[in-house]
Amino acid sequence: MKHTFVLFLSLILLVLPGCSAEKSSADTAKKTLTIYSTMSTDSERDTFRKLAATFEKEHSNIHVSLHFPGNDYENMMRVRMAANDLPDLFDTHGWGKIRYGEYTADLRDMEWTQDLDPNLNSILKNKSGKVYAYPINQAKDGLAYNRNILDRYGIAPPETMDDFIKALRTIKEKSKGSIVPFWFAGYDKSSFAQYYDQFATPLLITDPAHNEKKQLINGTFQWSKFTYLSEILKQMQKEKLINIDAVTAKKSQLIELMAQNKIAFTMQGGTLGQDVAQINPNVKVGIIPTPAIHPGDDPIWIGGERYTLAAWKDSPQLKEAKEFIAFMARPANAKQMAEATSLPSGLTNVKADIFYANDYEHYQDIKVEPYFDRLYLPNGMWDVLGTVGQELAADILAPQDISQKLGREYKRLREQSETQGAENNE
Amino acid sequence: MRAARTKSMRIITLLAAIVACAHFIPFYILLTTSLKAKGDYSSKWIFPADISFHNFSEAWERASLGNSFINTMIITGFSALLLIIFGSLAAYPLARRETKLNKAVFALLISIMIIPPLTSMVPLYRMVVDAGMVNTHAIAIFINTAAYMPLTVFLYSGFIRSTIPKELEEAARIDGAGMLKIFFTIVFPLLKPITATICIISCVFIWNDYQFAIFFLQDQKVQTLTVAMAGFFGENANNLHLVAAAALMAMLPMVVLFLALQKYFIAGLSSGAVKG
Amino acid sequence: MSEIARDVHVKQVKPKKQSSLWWMYIPALLSVLVFMIYPFVKGTLITFTNWNGFSQVYQWVGFAQYERLFSDPDTWHILKNTLLYGLGSTFFQNVVGLLYALLLNQSIKTKAVTRTIVYLPVMISPLIMGYIWYFFFSYDGGALNDLLGVFGISPINALASPSLNPWIIVMINTYQYVGIAMVVYLAGLQSIPKDYYEAAQMDGAKQGQQFFTITLPLLMPSITINMVINIIGGLKLFDVIIALTAGGPGNASQSMSTFMYDLYFKRQDAGYAATQGIFMAFVILIISFCALAYFKRKETEMS
Repeated sequence: MKHTFVLFLSLILLVLPGCSAEKSSADTAKKTLTIYSTMSTDSERDTFRKLAATFEKEHSNIHVSLHFPGNDYENMMRVRMAANDLPDLFDTHGWGKIRYGEYTADLRDMEWTQDLDPNLNSILKNKSGKVYAYPINQAKDGLAYNRNILDRYGIAPPETMDDFIKALRTIKEKSKGSIVPFWFAGYDKSSFAQYYDQFATPLLITDPAHNEKKQLINGTFQWSKFTYLSEILKQMQKEKLINIDAVTAKKSQLIELMAQNKIAFTMQGGTLGQDVAQINPNVKVGIIPTPAIHPGDDPIWIGGERYTLAAWKDSPQLKEAKEFIAFMARPANAKQMAEATSLPSGLTNVKADIFYANDYEHYQDIKVEPYFDRLYLPNGMWDVLGTVGQELAADILAPQDISQKLGREYKRLREQSETQGAENNE
Repeated sequence: MRAARTKSMRIITLLAAIVACAHFIPFYILLTTSLKAKGDYSSKWIFPADISFHNFSEAWERASLGNSFINTMIITGFSALLLIIFGSLAAYPLARRETKLNKAVFALLISIMIIPPLTSMVPLYRMVVDAGMVNTHAIAIFINTAAYMPLTVFLYSGFIRSTIPKELEEAARIDGAGMLKIFFTIVFPLLKPITATICIISCVFIWNDYQFAIFFLQDQKVQTLTVAMAGFFGENANNLHLVAAAALMAMLPMVVLFLALQKYFIAGLSSGAVKG
Repeated sequence: MSEIARDVHVKQVKPKKQSSLWWMYIPALLSVLVFMIYPFVKGTLITFTNWNGFSQVYQWVGFAQYERLFSDPDTWHILKNTLLYGLGSTFFQNVVGLLYALLLNQSIKTKAVTRTIVYLPVMISPLIMGYIWYFFFSYDGGALNDLLGVFGISPINALASPSLNPWIIVMINTYQYVGIAMVVYLAGLQSIPKDYYEAAQMDGAKQGQQFFTITLPLLMPSITINMVINIIGGLKLFDVIIALTAGGPGNASQSMSTFMYDLYFKRQDAGYAATQGIFMAFVILIISFCALAYFKRKETEMS
């Protein structure tokens, strides 16, 4: 009697899952496309939602379920990959080949691949021609700056590192320290990683006289050559050219500070210009390519994936997923997305009227190089770059020590990726 | 004597007021932030010039808080129910019958409290996916129940052992009653204080759970409050005013629960569990 | 005749051997086995691989990760932090909690409200508390710096110093969870019969003496409970650290749980992360059992 009572209770609980599952499979007539994206601002997400709704109207048998996990995106994707349970469509945010590669479906037979921007070839394709993902937009990163401040102090947007440092000094002097010349959101390691990653390209790649491509790829790179970047950053910190709370500031403060004209320069950009304009339309944000380091060299745009759509190769809805991608690749739709994200489209037949259009036009002859760490560093180095950046700014490590630490991690991660299912540099 | 007493009472009241002020700061900041408009970066200490409750309604709609409230209440409620029923049931033999087996089982249950959740995360997720139970209320209930079972059993067994007199059960046994009947008709009603204690501790933790909810309840339909609020924090999204408003609303049920159970809570810990 | 019948009756009812009533804890045990123990055991298998956390392929590497753990300088530095968080928080929480309990056990009118306010931080989601602390400590426009500004003190960047911020984390953790310690002590204080104090008063014992001879010994059980719960909670500390410093700068303020999280999700080092996790569980096990044994002994000594 007593045993059966307990068993009875346990049975009830076993039935519970059945009840929940029943409800969710009610719509079996419709197929559900689950899409995960890293889009972070409201304007981006809303545009995507509108397009998804239009797609649903055209395809009455497909229901689109959009997910924007924000900061938790990567964590969720990792857990889902480990369980081999990916969403039908997902964002590869720069890691299409290196991290997500083994789970992506080959998209090479889709029409839009004919118009894929050649800048993205080395990033989204491998040697045998597999196309890993559809680029909703592409990164073209440099430095974002407050135009009002530069105009006020008569500073021209810098094209070399030397000019950049001069500009920072001028701003500090003329504003008597009330404006932060160069701002870092160092609570987040990625802020410092971004600095290293972007400036590594003019340091080690673009200048033919200082080209370390081969050494990086075959693992013989001397990390002492990297010390320059740490030394410059340390120097900037000593001269108070970067914010005092560089190590603890959070990204969410960027918009608010820029909108109050308290910052002159910061790395990258994203939708900063648009977001600031929403709060304070009088503040004009512009972007410039990453300044050159070696004499005689040109500045460079750092490019690559930003928002993409990759299809899970084992998805039961693979056909519908591809249909969605084809829909997003229609020029009108691609243009809408690109404009919402303030970045150029990934397709050559799409000319978007984006926020920074004037800046991109002004610098249209500047070349684009893919992100340094995605091409020349083993998977996992990005995090190390962030950590050492924090340690540099907090006086835990000196520039030479940092280069040594980077060298050690470089070796370890190269060995690790050789034994794992990574599809990099094919 | 009276005068001295009043004076020391005044000092104590003053100290208590200082303590209260010090601990009220987080809420104060939440309050001021929730009443400000987007883009208002004035000091966190001052209220905005025009107070509007617009943020509350906006947060409610944007994050579908109504839906999240219901989900969170279902999950918390059922988990608490299961913890109380099966936790007390399990604690009884572990408190009363100290056989070798029972001692081992007790030690096993307690040592589970040290497990870092992340170690179990991926195997657990995989297990749940294979069982087809992702995005169900049931799985969240089961996982939360299992997670707080050790603490529940720990508190219940201590209370049973030290406060409930064995005589009542032995008398009923002599009368020929079955174990289950004895437990539910005699022992369980006497456990009210500790039940309230466990309720309030586990309910708060389950209500605020983030680490498990974010992975196992990804679908909007089954989202909990913390996950819904997390949606306001994008990398560049600056919706602090909405977050503060949502947080205040989400906190309300737990505050009400605490105030309601407060008298039981303290009584529960004063007997039994304390002597553990 | 009736006596014999009674003897027989008693003999029949008294059980010969105590049954363990195991069927009563089957559901609880089952839930724990399925959802906690089984995944944990599977999780520990990862420590013998070099898995990166997301690929379907990995390799078995035997004890290599454990060797790495012991030779990694970060391990020991982070262990030190973890012990600080666990033991430091426990110390402060218990001292302050006891003081609060003593204060709020007096018959003043505002005690109920004050107790509630002290307990409120326990009830806020750690996710939200994280943001509140950020509002408080941020250099630009943070509440703390605003307050200092009123007194003419220039703004400080409280969380930047790698040697200082673990201590700040201990303080914040104490502030946040001291309510729990307070409530346990309040209950303990209220269970001490008032007659003991009255008797001591009549014997001429002063307040201080009464505290050490009556209150403290009878509070030992509450102390034990608080110690064990706080030590485990402090050693596993996660949310407060992430909210304030994310373990930074570098790895300066990491605890073992945040380090594990970092390794798994940021450094693609799932095998090593799991190994650190096992190490952490082991450390917590040792310390909490030692604490439990020590305080249980004190309990019996004092009573």
